[in-house]
Amino acid sequence: SAAARRPWRLFGAMCLLRLPRITQPLEKEEEEVAALMEQIELEKSVYSDHEMRKLEEEEQLKRKMESLYDEDEAHGKTVIMAQDLEEKWEQKFLQFKPAPRITDADKSNDRTSLNRKLDSNLMLLVKQKIGNQELWLLPQVEWQPGETLRSTAERAMATFLGDHIQAKVLGNAPYGIYKYKFPRAIRTENNVGAKVFFFKAFLQSSDLSQAEVKADYLWVTKKELGDYLKSEYLKKVNRFLLD
Amino acid sequence: DALLGCQRSYRSRPTHGIGRFKYLLPKEVPKRRKEKVQMKEISAGTEYQYGDLNIQMTSYDLCLVEHFAQHVHRLCNRLSIRVNESYAMPTKTNEVLFLEERGSKMQLDAVLTTHQRVVQIRGLSSTFAPILLEIIQSNQPEGVHLLIKEHTEADFKSRLKSRPELEELLAEMS
Repeated sequence: SAAARRPWRLFGAMCLLRLPRITQPLEKEEEEVAALMEQIELEKSVYSDHEMRKLEEEEQLKRKMESLYDEDEAHGKTVIMAQDLEEKWEQKFLQFKPAPRITDADKSNDRTSLNRKLDSNLMLLVKQKIGNQELWLLPQVEWQPGETLRSTAERAMATFLGDHIQAKVLGNAPYGIYKYKFPRAIRTENNVGAKVFFFKAFLQSSDLSQAEVKADYLWVTKKELGDYLKSEYLKKVNRFLLD
Repeated sequence: DALLGCQRSYRSRPTHGIGRFKYLLPKEVPKRRKEKVQMKEISAGTEYQYGDLNIQMTSYDLCLVEHFAQHVHRLCNRLSIRVNESYAMPTKTNEVLFLEERGSKMQLDAVLTTHQRVVQIRGLSSTFAPILLEIIQSNQPEGVHLLIKEHTEADFKSRLKSRPELEELLAEMS
């Protein structure tokens, strides 16, 4: 009945998420609790093999200094002392440099690159022309009869990012819906408004160099969505976004 | 005088069997030793439900993996998803040997232990599954690999140990 009386145009939109690569930094309380737990564990713990060996060798050294025993040398086991091993490990650790958490893209606030904000979800926003206005939206494409809404969303993704995108779509059910009516000037009998169904997908590969992007695009976090999206749209989109 | 002064209430005595209570308790079925194989359930249709799903978490760090497994278990309890079992697979030990060949050949050893925890879930509806997946993925700690797959007989058999003596005897018999 809805199709007969007031048909809505259906769109399928894809919310492409890039998962965070690093964990978020701990809050102040979390850090305090973590430090406290570590201290408790340290005080409760027992010596490990390595530490026992170290203590024994220290004692043997002391005895050697004081009374020049030769029995210990006759064993021949203490060629490599535990202390030496520890120093070696320390040096190796100092040589290792982990990758920086705040990348260049963060510093320059370049919103088109995928390398910024490695600890939060990034979403794809595309500039699209709807009616007369150019708006920032999640990539959407009109539904054609005969295809499922999920394939509409996948087509939307493909039109904006090229065919070879390794993204995993989550499930066949849409995550959210946004409907709006056209302004009275354009409204006709058959076209009252539009409904946009949102689907979610995870980006598997982080390399988009092969993608031919056809329009302006941005990768934004949830907080920055407010800068670009309209309020009504934003409300519906925020409902299904985890932070 | 060693007089036997014990009072043995024999069957003729009226108080015979005064302390009996076991006949009042419900009957206990004797425990069987054999393990029963798992049950599968796949129902297609609009109400698509997954059968038994295994969420496997592997990591080198024991505390992280255990805490994460606990977290997932509690999450499922909260979301009223039925958890069949949550068990641990045996740990695998890997020895890493460095062969530095610059003049003196040194072999530095490192011993790594890989721990694996499995949470088995049943009755996950397909509309809810991606949400759950997203929640678990976003809560994943560093260094923990997550794997969700369906439970199969091979998974079940991998937990059991093989008994070589029994197999030898069976081979001899047949």
